[in-house]
Amino acid sequence: MTAVTETVRTPPAIRLRPRSTVAIAVAAVAALLAFCWPLLVSADSVLATNTAAPLILGLVLPVVLAVVLFEISEGGLDPKAVAMLGVLSAVGAAIRPLGAGTAGLETVFFLLVLAGRVFGAGFGFVLGATTLFGSALITGGVGPWLPYQMLGASLVGLLAGLLPRATGRVELLMLAAYGAFAGLLYGVLQNLSFWPYNLGEDTSISFVPGAPLLENLQHFAVFTVTTALGWDLGRALTNAVLILVTGPAILATLRRAARKAAFR
Amino acid sequence: MTAGRLPRSLHPLAWWGWAIGLAVAASLTTNPLLLALILAVVWLVVVARRSDSPWARAFRLYVILGIVIVVVRIFWHVLVGLKFGTIKVLPLPEVALPSWADGINLFGTIYLEGWIGAALQGAKLGILVIAIGGANALANPKRLLRSMPHALHEVGTAVVVSVSVAPQLAESVQRVLRARLLRGQSGRGLRAVPQVALPVLQDTLDRSLMLASAMESRGYGSRREASSGAAGRLAIGGSTLIGLLAIAFGMYGVLDPTRTPGWSGVPVLVLGMLLAFGGMALGGREIRVTRYRRDPWRWAETVTVLAGVAAATGAVLSQQATPALMVMPLQPLAAPGLPILATVGVLVAALPAFVTPPTPKVRAR
Repeated sequence: MTAVTETVRTPPAIRLRPRSTVAIAVAAVAALLAFCWPLLVSADSVLATNTAAPLILGLVLPVVLAVVLFEISEGGLDPKAVAMLGVLSAVGAAIRPLGAGTAGLETVFFLLVLAGRVFGAGFGFVLGATTLFGSALITGGVGPWLPYQMLGASLVGLLAGLLPRATGRVELLMLAAYGAFAGLLYGVLQNLSFWPYNLGEDTSISFVPGAPLLENLQHFAVFTVTTALGWDLGRALTNAVLILVTGPAILATLRRAARKAAFR
Repeated sequence: MTAGRLPRSLHPLAWWGWAIGLAVAASLTTNPLLLALILAVVWLVVVARRSDSPWARAFRLYVILGIVIVVVRIFWHVLVGLKFGTIKVLPLPEVALPSWADGINLFGTIYLEGWIGAALQGAKLGILVIAIGGANALANPKRLLRSMPHALHEVGTAVVVSVSVAPQLAESVQRVLRARLLRGQSGRGLRAVPQVALPVLQDTLDRSLMLASAMESRGYGSRREASSGAAGRLAIGGSTLIGLLAIAFGMYGVLDPTRTPGWSGVPVLVLGMLLAFGGMALGGREIRVTRYRRDPWRWAETVTVLAGVAAATGAVLSQQATPALMVMPLQPLAAPGLPILATVGVLVAALPAFVTPPTPKVRAR
């Protein structure tokens, strides 16, 4: 009985063509630049003054996301994949408020990781973006933070689809470990991007434009350890536990749906 | 003129243009008078033109978030801020941290100047967030999705499905609960969670397949072969990919102008954005989409967007002409003045509260 669900592999719901792979790679580099900008920025940059940064990055990042999503969907998506994306992001958007804000309890990522695993990397990428976008629209939470969250969640879903082959208990442990790692990294990256806004320019753990990388890293480390590490660890733990507990049932359900859909 | 006064919802993109204009104005100043004026204008327009929809009620949350941002800034200033000024407010002892956290001192005497500076920096960001919240409250998100570019039609469809399916999940949960009750299982608590959640997930996934076949039977997904041929596809792919590369390169140039040639910053970034938009526009032409009840764009929409542009332009011009008036004078502390152009711009941004048609007061579903 279990052997069936473990061995049957379904084709990815959204096939990544070489062009979309290149687009995702370039976008990942751009996303990394956007997340790590406080560490990279030099003193004479227009972003160093901290007023232009949220506006410039807030305009550039949605364009990057739009281009990548366009490249992935160019040439047509399977309507079954579109419908599956829609309902899975609805489920994600519905369970997101359950944990939001309470001690880092993050209830979206486990679904994102499991769906990315079953439906493939391209689907995971798009699902990350649509889940957070839909959730923001429903709760009225569109703001300068949204592109960062969408990019972060997209990368979490993408990497979940790229994990190596494994079955049974090994697969479950691998997914849980990945969920914990992704939750932690997502938190640190989000902190990094909002560190300058949160703190302002003139505190002793603020970012100093153009200062040596090590000095800024030290300031950031103090800031993130003292403020957000509890939340990030909470998120990592929630992900791992939720994946371990719900993983077998949800993986089987999703694989059944993928087989029934028979993506072309 | 009479047709313009009939109650109707404005095009959502108009509200977003207006709000972004005010957000730009707020991001350029720490003058408390100007910031208060921007806040008042956003508040006035939101109160005058919001509907009674759920997303309109979210505005209160944005105001709370704005206040939290100011409080957090002040907290950080007291804890680790670099204190400056001459007027002592609160003498606190300074605590030096051990050597692993070199250079970080906790507390220290708080001066009025530094305190006001931190509060105003927070207020600037908080009011920017509240302006964006104004757009969230005024613009109907479902109608906004219709304005997605054609190139993103399929991803947009997925978001539309998500936004409309999410409320139905509650109904699905109730159906499963009722079925459990009929079987005599009234078990509540943690045990029941997987027994309800899994059938709901199954139900949702099955429904998605039904939805897909309904979409396919209505012609969705039966896309014809690309009309533009190999050369056209090369143009689309080339311009979007080169545009994306230019954006990444330009971002690095903007971040680090010392180690990159001068032309590689903003110009490359703008070029990349233009190429990306061009590629998406070309690609979007191949997707035929029909629109049911297209949202009109009339003079009220144009006035609303121009009002936002006026606020942003006024702030930019004031910063060029009288930069000293755009910031709060802190050293020495003095009463702030009013920059004329920025003030006029922000006042113009209040126009939508009076000239746009009133919002219909029935809940649209």
